Amino acid sequence: MRRHTSVLVIIAIIVGLLAYSFFNSRSLGSFGITVLSGLFQGMLLFLVASGMSIVFGLMDILNMAQGTYFMVGTYVAYDIQHAGGLIDLTASVPDPNLRFFIAVVGAILVGAGLGAILERGLLRPLYARPVFQLVLTFGVALVLTEIITLVWSTTPYSWTETFGVREGFFELFGQRFSTYRLFVVGMGFLLIISIALLLQRSRIGIIIRAGVEDSEMVESLGINVRAVFTLVFTLGCAVAALGGAVAAPFLGASTTIGSTFLLQAIAVVVLGGMGSYVGTAVGSIMVGLAIAVAQDAAIGTSFSILPSITPMLLLILILLVRPSGLFGSNR
Amino acid sequence: MKQLRSNWLYSLILVFLIAFPFIVGALTESSPTGVPRGDRMIMRGESVRWQAVLIEVFILSILAMSYNLMFGFTGVISFGHALFFGSAGYIIGLALEYTALDTGAALILGSLAAFVICGGVGLMIGFVSLRLRGVYFTIFTLAVAEMFYIFFSRFALTKAEDGFAVTELPVWLDPSQSRLTFYYIVLALFVLTFLFIRRLVNSPTGAVFKAIRENEDRALAIGYNTLRFKLMAIVIAGMLAALAGILQVLLNKKIGPEMLSVGYTIDPLLNTIIGGIGTFAGPVIGTAGLHLLDTFFRDATLVIGGSTIQVANVWGLVLGLIFILVVIVFPQGVVGTWQSWRLKRQIRHLESRMAVEPSPAPESG
Amino acid sequence: MPNPILEVRDIHTFIGQFHILEGVNVSIPEGSITVLLGRNGAGKTTTLRSIMGITPPRSGTIVFQGDTLAGKRPYTVAKLGIGYVPEHRAIFKELSVRENLKIAERNRGDYERHTDLIFDLFPDLKRLIDLPGGKLSGGQQQMLAIARALVPDNRLLLIDEPSEGLAPVIIEQLMAAIRRLSSQCTILLVEQNFRMASRLADHFAIIDDGRSPVSGSMADLVNDSALIQRYLGVA
Repeated sequence: MRRHTSVLVIIAIIVGLLAYSFFNSRSLGSFGITVLSGLFQGMLLFLVASGMSIVFGLMDILNMAQGTYFMVGTYVAYDIQHAGGLIDLTASVPDPNLRFFIAVVGAILVGAGLGAILERGLLRPLYARPVFQLVLTFGVALVLTEIITLVWSTTPYSWTETFGVREGFFELFGQRFSTYRLFVVGMGFLLIISIALLLQRSRIGIIIRAGVEDSEMVESLGINVRAVFTLVFTLGCAVAALGGAVAAPFLGASTTIGSTFLLQAIAVVVLGGMGSYVGTAVGSIMVGLAIAVAQDAAIGTSFSILPSITPMLLLILILLVRPSGLFGSNR
Repeated sequence: MKQLRSNWLYSLILVFLIAFPFIVGALTESSPTGVPRGDRMIMRGESVRWQAVLIEVFILSILAMSYNLMFGFTGVISFGHALFFGSAGYIIGLALEYTALDTGAALILGSLAAFVICGGVGLMIGFVSLRLRGVYFTIFTLAVAEMFYIFFSRFALTKAEDGFAVTELPVWLDPSQSRLTFYYIVLALFVLTFLFIRRLVNSPTGAVFKAIRENEDRALAIGYNTLRFKLMAIVIAGMLAALAGILQVLLNKKIGPEMLSVGYTIDPLLNTIIGGIGTFAGPVIGTAGLHLLDTFFRDATLVIGGSTIQVANVWGLVLGLIFILVVIVFPQGVVGTWQSWRLKRQIRHLESRMAVEPSPAPESG
Repeated sequence: MPNPILEVRDIHTFIGQFHILEGVNVSIPEGSITVLLGRNGAGKTTTLRSIMGITPPRSGTIVFQGDTLAGKRPYTVAKLGIGYVPEHRAIFKELSVRENLKIAERNRGDYERHTDLIFDLFPDLKRLIDLPGGKLSGGQQQMLAIARALVPDNRLLLIDEPSEGLAPVIIEQLMAAIRRLSSQCTILLVEQNFRMASRLADHFAIIDDGRSPVSGSMADLVNDSALIQRYLGVA
């Protein structure tokens, strides 16, 4: 019954957004661009929010540093791709496509490493003091941002390197569509489905879902829950960094990206229902579409603030209908 | 006895703070009231410079104490305390600069409006989010504060990112003309805030706050409407933060979106944790310690192995690392660690004197 | 008395700042059913949780088949062959009955090897196998919780208040199952229902106010109404 209203709310919002965008578009092509841009942003959001949501469900920790891991991903990818910086591969790997692949892998590894350090080194001593865990992740976000500032300064970088995939496009309805965005959206959907399958079918997935309900009981069955915590937390951070790396060719790298994505991801996690994987996936796409539609609507008007407050407006709207989020339990 | 001794210490500190402008003035041979030029005073000299430093310490201490009331005494974590601080700043700034009221009336009405609106915003956020699990409130405060920050960074009427200057202040209050008066006003408000929080926390209401912090379910089971008490803590904390925000605008004679930024949430959070959560003096000691260190070392450079480091550049990192270290190693902060050390010593002392069988030491926590 | 499979010696357990267990001694003979008796809040559940390492004791020793348990994490304790069925039947409500059972596997194939035994003891579970645990009735959930402890090869089962809140018919069914199980592994039971405990258990230990003043054979306890009156307040 409750699921029922949630599904109706989701359909209503998505159909509403699409219809609004459709009737305000000049052509089918520009409507298509809005939708693709929305799905692209939705996928980026999913990469940040999914780790946050699963970690919260499993460990009861809201990782306030998740956006910062995304930001670390953008910087690492930028640095590896471009000449100069910490790692300069332009000489040894002249092919920009291959270099971008290395940049993405590098970002994932750095994200995973920093995630593992945070969980094992800093959060683990605090399991008896959950309030401090929340405060600590906030502190870690602060420190990582400061380190980034020291290494790369506060000046934003815009992505200048061109490579095949990013520049590619295809034409439809008389409009040029970025192949890269389509590629990211496709990979995103693939990732959403793979994680869902992992959670549903694999043993580790069963353990994670059981741990979300009662991690103490899972441990009493002979399963090393803390190792599972570390694994999930590390993967969550790695996926966030992956998101940053994938986003960098469009967004570049800047020190404000972290808090922007943290806030959007928080909106997604809360409106989807904290700890619910389905809620996070659906919420990401919804918020992504809403931002894209808002960006379109704000062009040429004085409402340039609209896209940046859209996630919060959507969040408030949904919490008014469903106080614990779309797929949340009333805990 | 203990009460008397600590009050004695507090009185001594208060006397020092009252005499401070004159002490610095005498030591550096500068006038505590500044240098006269024509019919107005120019704020030049060591005494007035240090007054400004302490004024900011008092203001940020009020902010930290207000944060501690929620975080330390009631166990409610907000990541959006800057919302109250900055909103109050904008309200008083708008009242002074954008209304046709005369300065005195604008000051009074603006302050009143700031208190009422900040209290009301706290009430609304709390009402929406506190019924759900603890973390919702934290998220909501962060989200609302950031939304306000984004809004005022782009809002043309308030000059967006640049903010606007506050020019219309009565001469007797203007810190760039009568800094000594302003110093004493802020000092008085700081002391009043300190006493008010101590009184409140030691009252029956404060006992409920602490019960909620220790175990909310139990407080609820005993029959307290915990939501009401938490809302009360938030509203009071919001209004005290508003006071700090108003004073900050009067001190800097300028208001900009940075007052709403997450920096002014981190500041009281950091100061409270480092000084000692849930202690009266902790937030003040944390604020004074960190702010004075910042003032002393801001322009310093370190030379380590041939490379020079501007302290100002790494200051944020150093603060962050101290913060993480304190959270993990000394979660009780400076004051809390000192108190529990003294308690342990007293227990040991008592035990050896009475030569009774040692009972298991009380859990710290 | 046969060799004890589990020996709890003088354990002290704190929860927060509260001293819950103030020196509990329990010895569990192998191949029998032992029951912990005592009033509410006496420390029976904490004793089980201390054995599992969920609330680790601050001092004292716990020895299980020659292995010291105190200081070990719950998952290591469980892997030594101890199955824990907590009170309020902590099954996973979002997981299907099959997943609830499969998650308890310690080695691949544990579940398949024991399905016959499990469905023989609790035939209901067979037709509920694909239902989420939350959709089961209280009695069925309790059966699932016990069945879950049977999936790996456990030598000792700790069962906390299996009869709590269940109808008499279901309790009878559970008792029969527990009695049958005792031929395969040792059982340590916490039970408020004295009638059930007395019919089921071979040995008892009384937990009172964080201590364990009396223990012995159930047959002796049943005839000692003064002792029962003193510690359990039931006639």
